[in-house]
Amino acid sequence: MAAKDFVSLVISAILTAGLYAIMSYGLALIYGVMKIINLAHAGVIMLSAYMTFWLVTAYHLNPFLAPLIVMPTFFLVGLAMQQIFIRPIAGAPPISSLLLLFGVWLIMQNVAYLIFSGDTRSIFTEYTLLTIKVADIPLSLNRLIVFAVGIVVLVALQLFLSRTYPGRAIRALAADSEAASLVGINTGRISMLAFGLGISLAALAGSLMSLIYTFDPDFGRSHLLKSFCIVVLGGLESIIGVALGSLVLALVEAFSVIWLRAALQDFVSFALLVLVLLVMPNGLIGLIRRQTR
Amino acid sequence: MKRFYPPRTLLAWLVAIGSLGMLVILPILFKGSYWQTLAFITFLFVSLSISWNITGGYAGQVSFGHSTFLGLGAFATAIITLRTGLPAPFTIPIAGFLAMVYGFLWGYPTLRLRGPYFSIATIGVGEATRLFMTNLDDSLRNIPRLKELVKYRPLTGGASGLTLPIPPDIQSYALKFYYVALLFMLGVLAVSWWIRRSRFGLALFAINMDPDAAETLGVSTARYNVLALMVSAFLVGVVGSLYAQYFFFIDPREMFSFQNSIAMVLMPIIGGIGTLWGPVLGAVVFKVVEDRLLTTHLEWGPLSINFVQFNLLLYGLLLVLIILFEPGGVLGLLRRMKGSRLLKRAFTPARQKG
Repeated sequence: MAAKDFVSLVISAILTAGLYAIMSYGLALIYGVMKIINLAHAGVIMLSAYMTFWLVTAYHLNPFLAPLIVMPTFFLVGLAMQQIFIRPIAGAPPISSLLLLFGVWLIMQNVAYLIFSGDTRSIFTEYTLLTIKVADIPLSLNRLIVFAVGIVVLVALQLFLSRTYPGRAIRALAADSEAASLVGINTGRISMLAFGLGISLAALAGSLMSLIYTFDPDFGRSHLLKSFCIVVLGGLESIIGVALGSLVLALVEAFSVIWLRAALQDFVSFALLVLVLLVMPNGLIGLIRRQTR
Repeated sequence: MKRFYPPRTLLAWLVAIGSLGMLVILPILFKGSYWQTLAFITFLFVSLSISWNITGGYAGQVSFGHSTFLGLGAFATAIITLRTGLPAPFTIPIAGFLAMVYGFLWGYPTLRLRGPYFSIATIGVGEATRLFMTNLDDSLRNIPRLKELVKYRPLTGGASGLTLPIPPDIQSYALKFYYVALLFMLGVLAVSWWIRRSRFGLALFAINMDPDAAETLGVSTARYNVLALMVSAFLVGVVGSLYAQYFFFIDPREMFSFQNSIAMVLMPIIGGIGTLWGPVLGAVVFKVVEDRLLTTHLEWGPLSINFVQFNLLLYGLLLVLIILFEPGGVLGLLRRMKGSRLLKRAFTPARQKG
């Protein structure tokens, strides 16, 4: 393999990793605060892709501004979901919330089938085919901007979590919910906020991904698994862990193309997930350490 | 508490024997009809539902990857029959055994994870298996040493699937399979019933209620969970084999599909997870609702609504409502309805939901 191809593969993996980090962080945030695995994540990613599609095609909105509308909308959706579905089953065994959110995902997916049909959609804008050349390596402008938007949001989120009161309260709740309520944090409200944020991060990921990939109502499923794989790889403790996990997965996926058929690319993340569980179930940070027996 | 209710027990036996009798004579009344096929497929789904319930309900390990066993069973039968000429019925135990081995292979690593984490991992296993099996033929073609395997005939058939030879006398063949499936369903029910009463079942219930406490009492959670998954896998594998033999055509994308895994999760939950009869009831409700929806076509003014699309939407709604309001499913609802101590006794769940 020529050095140039190698570099361009690595760069494309890094760009993908940025997207992966956003969607995984949404999952990690909700898990961290509420100890819930949000299976509806997949549905949110898919619905936000459709919403972006609709904003861009019907209102000719600049595709990179779409998150400004999509994220707040899904933040509200997240608040509503938390109130309707999560609050009533607080304290139930974790499997109930998993199944419940699975049901929510089924509803989202099939409503999408009803409204949008099963056809594959893609968003084509003036940016889609533009490339710029840096040191003779062609880079898709579209993917560069998507990456940049993602990084900006992640940095903003990091600042929010470390500098503001609600952000710190979220982290306190994730660390120890009982202690958090003892020091006077309104756990109910903070949980709601965290859920809304998690959902809006998933929506951001979906919105940005819709500019790069084709999508249909089944769009989020493989991404849900990838997010989980990343969370398992990198742990839930920090944004660095999530970023690292994203990078590992993106790199493995990018280089697997050399040996594997393109149709089998998704296979990599699932196989990686099972492999990690098999080989080093105790050696991983965070989630796994807490959950293995 | 008195443990014997003669009139009610008698009634229960009468109902059981009566409905069984109806199932036995159904194909004679409606020979080779649509109802016969519907009943056949319902038997298979009841079996799937009960089998899933052994891991998902008794041990509390919710698996979204059971279609791997269904597909493996079906393809084991199809491939062995097509390649060796072994009569299809002889492949049934092989199909079950292979599914069981596969259950061990992926259950052993993933069952180290608890609850929701195991569930997510099983989605991964299911997807990976489906992709692998769908692309197997094309991948093998690119590997020089294994090219011979798929040179003249397909292994899994990829996107086009596999077709089994159709016997000359299709009517009596279908009738034979109707009874085979009925018997198998009763067998699976017996296995489920036996597990509930055995030490094995007690261990599973203990794991479901509190894995840490179970471990303290000397129950090896990992071993029992894997064992439960293997039993479940064997039964589902056999269903896959029966499916392939009855319908003569299997397609890896469909057999290994996520939809099949979802169906196996939904049926016991609709009926009443962790109970003996819940999965049976759930599967019947699931299959009949699905069948009605498939055949209903509503004309309402200018609107023409095809209900096929509502299928999974409806189940999603049902799932949400059940978890929110009646975790015991249809049985829980029945039990809540006033009265019957019989219902209470027969339908006590493995784990009292809190």
